[in-house]
Amino acid sequence: MASKKGEQGSLKLPAVLDLNEATQLHGKLMSLRGKALVIDASAVERAGIQCIQVLLAGAKAWGEDKKPFSIAKVSDAFQKTLQLVGMSADQLQAQEIR
Amino acid sequence: MKKKVLTVDDSRTIRNMLLVTLNNAGFETVQAEDGVEGLEVLEEANPDVIVTDINMPRLDGFGFIEGVRRNEKYRAIPILVLTTESDAEKKNRARQAGATGWIVKPFDPTKLIDAIERVTA
Amino acid sequence: MDMNEIKEIFFQECEEQLAELESGLLKLNDGDRDPETVNAVFRAVHSIKGGAGAFGLDDLVSFAHVFETTLDCVRSNKLEPNQDVLKVMLKSADVLADLTNAARDGGSVDDSRSRALVKELEALANGEVPAPSATVEVPAAATAAAPAPTDESGFAPIPFSFDGFDDEEEAIEGTVYDVTFNPRPELFAKGNEATLLLRDLSRVGEMSIHCDTDALPSLDQIDPEGAYFRWKIAVKTTKGEDAIRSVFEFAEWDCDLEIKVQEAATDAAERAEELPMIPVPFDLSMLDGAGSEGDADGEEAGAAANATATTAVAAAEAVSGIAKLAGAASRGDKKDAGAAATAAAQATAAAGAAPTIRVDLDRVDRLINLVGELVINQAMLSQSVIENDANGTSSINMGLEELQQLTREIQDSVMAIRAQPVKPVFQRMSRIVREVADMTGKSIRLITEGENTEVDKTVIDKLAEPLTHMIRNAVDHGVETPEKRVAAGKNPEGTVRLTAKHRSGRILIELADDGAGINRERVKQKAIDNDLIAADANLTDEEIDNLIFLPGFSTADKISDISGRGVGMDVVKRSIQALGGRISISSRPGHGSVFTMSLPLTLAVLDGMVVTVAGQTLVVPLTAIVETLQPEASAIHSFGASHRLISIRNSFCPLVDVGRILNFRTTQANPVEGVALLVESEGGGQRALMVDAIQGQRQVVIKSLEANYTHVAGIAAATILGDGRVALILDVDAVVGASRGQSLKPEMSLAATG
Repeated sequence: MASKKGEQGSLKLPAVLDLNEATQLHGKLMSLRGKALVIDASAVERAGIQCIQVLLAGAKAWGEDKKPFSIAKVSDAFQKTLQLVGMSADQLQAQEIR
Repeated sequence: MKKKVLTVDDSRTIRNMLLVTLNNAGFETVQAEDGVEGLEVLEEANPDVIVTDINMPRLDGFGFIEGVRRNEKYRAIPILVLTTESDAEKKNRARQAGATGWIVKPFDPTKLIDAIERVTA
Repeated sequence: MDMNEIKEIFFQECEEQLAELESGLLKLNDGDRDPETVNAVFRAVHSIKGGAGAFGLDDLVSFAHVFETTLDCVRSNKLEPNQDVLKVMLKSADVLADLTNAARDGGSVDDSRSRALVKELEALANGEVPAPSATVEVPAAATAAAPAPTDESGFAPIPFSFDGFDDEEEAIEGTVYDVTFNPRPELFAKGNEATLLLRDLSRVGEMSIHCDTDALPSLDQIDPEGAYFRWKIAVKTTKGEDAIRSVFEFAEWDCDLEIKVQEAATDAAERAEELPMIPVPFDLSMLDGAGSEGDADGEEAGAAANATATTAVAAAEAVSGIAKLAGAASRGDKKDAGAAATAAAQATAAAGAAPTIRVDLDRVDRLINLVGELVINQAMLSQSVIENDANGTSSINMGLEELQQLTREIQDSVMAIRAQPVKPVFQRMSRIVREVADMTGKSIRLITEGENTEVDKTVIDKLAEPLTHMIRNAVDHGVETPEKRVAAGKNPEGTVRLTAKHRSGRILIELADDGAGINRERVKQKAIDNDLIAADANLTDEEIDNLIFLPGFSTADKISDISGRGVGMDVVKRSIQALGGRISISSRPGHGSVFTMSLPLTLAVLDGMVVTVAGQTLVVPLTAIVETLQPEASAIHSFGASHRLISIRNSFCPLVDVGRILNFRTTQANPVEGVALLVESEGGGQRALMVDAIQGQRQVVIKSLEANYTHVAGIAAATILGDGRVALILDVDAVVGASRGQSLKPEMSLAATG
């Protein structure tokens, strides 16, 4: 993957991250592969497990690609949902290594 | 924001009881009289949760649930089935059709609201 | 709306369901095996049971439950709905109706009857259903029901020995449960959501959680709708295991769930090491859909404002639409408006079942009353305009014509509101047939036709009683026993046919049986025995048949329990007459009898001929009049002291002096100076009613005399004419009866014929 350094993508999550959104989200992430990604989760009101699964898989993929994957703004609801299911926003981050 | 409930039941008595109970609990309520009408109003109603009877003319509860679950846009909506205590078999069929949960008839208001709260965010 | 109103709705609905149930069962009885018919029958009982449960009507629930169970056997093809089965079912439907009525009106039900039926129903259900399948259901239901009651019980028995704790400590500390929760994809597909389950779990007690994400595939491999996360959760609660289990009530089929009490010996720190547990704060109310309360409210308010504005615009448009329509109407484009209305009606019809509303009958009646007043007022206005505007060319006259037309249309439309199909009454009759046939050991089939024929609700309500009596009569006396029928070469099963149809502005109801017909010899003998006719009277077959309508007549050798009850066909006839109707019978020996009733469609208006009798204005119902004629002296023949006949086209017809009979005058009028109205009375005989002059024909609004004054013999009701005068409406049959020598006073007529 010969992506240029500094190329940056951004993704704003919708209010409802339900079953239907999981496939959408997966598609969006796939299309953003290789770019440094900043996710805006400030609008999220409802987050289901499947979207969280996709996001986590995304964070891992970006980690393997050694690209930064970060969640910039997190709504209170999203934050609390993550906490409730035993996860933290940190798990959904991938650092650019080196 | 008020949660919106779609109720599907052919009995006028039950429809009225649902309406009163749900309105008192602060829900917005849309009502249909059978499965066919339920599917018809789905788009317009765009409910947060559905409460449906099983025995209905034209399209029964099983068919209705399958219809909702096949609908790309609305398949994730939680659906509660109104059922009688003894209907273990029906409960299972409803689950196979894709029901989220059930409410045992005759329902009392707290049980109904409680079940709705359980399946909605 | 409160519970009482809903209960009222429930009973209304019960009536509909009971009708549905009965007609479905009758269809099955006729060999209909459409699964939808069986379903509809099942649904009717199920629906009654459901509603009854909500109102705690236990008797109704338990009977409906047994009935439903048996019907379910039919539905699942475990029980063949043959005639014997349906006999039980139809009887059960009757009992269900009785129980419903008892629940509403507080009456009592024949306990032994319903208990016997419960046994029969259960026998039917058990006879075909293997016993094991019935027992399987019970534990399943019990399990499902179990969690609910323990929800609030606080302390549920904990299957563990807590040597180290005393009770008090346990109550405060609670027990720690280890929960393993591994959802499967189906859980999500059915609209359940793990986050919500975890939310509810966190409310049960103090919770720590570990999410195992090891199974998560790579982004390329992941199924976005798969289920990869697994959880290990520790919940500390005083509510017991059932409280935890009930959280997963809807989900347990679609996940692997394990709940067990955490072993006291386990060192918490040790556990924490092997599995990092994140404590979950107790207050997670943010998840209750209140994410951005403020914004949402703002949006909603905006949307609401928008909606209001839209509604206002729509309303304004609607108003202008009405204004346009009104304009069109006032310009005299009545046809267009009418056409539009027709088109609208057709559009409604085309759209399938037209939407309906339920309206309190009082409101409709108030409206009908007001429209009645409007009709009278309009007539009075017309009259005074005509009187004051001799040249009759003014635009007022044209406007008045419009008004008259509109008033008439409004009246028709309003009357149509009250019109209802005769179906419910007809349906009630099938039960009567069943019961009477059962009691008399006859086999009878009731066929109904034209059930959707509509007639005013008042007429329907008052029709039930005479019709019931006639049906009883037809089954008890009309149709023969199966043995006699076979002997006569007939089908052992008798047929009673009940038909309704509209004919020239009236409703015609026919009740035909294929029984033995009237035994004229016996009827005549009975009439002679009872001094109803002279022993040497020479009567036509038709006249003999109609003797059964005379007061105090009964052909049954012994008063039977069924059609006896002390009332005869004379009572039936009087009830029909009270409705402005006529009844007659025609009979063919060996082939059966046909009763024909003709009734007005409404009791509110009447087309009448306005006549003058001895200076009084009377209205004669137009439906009674066959023709009017100007008698010539040569056609009048005296007969006896006071009887006169008029010859019309080679037949003689008794002349009835209305003025004498109503005591308007003491001397006989001269027929040549008046007009004769040829009327048809029941039994087919014609009479010529003598009146002084005809003023004209018009529709009049009926005002009950009984309600406003008292019953007057010979007078059916009153009305108000266009000029404001009160006119009496003639009771033609009573007047004709009086001319036969029967007194107009009812109590005397009973005494006379005793």
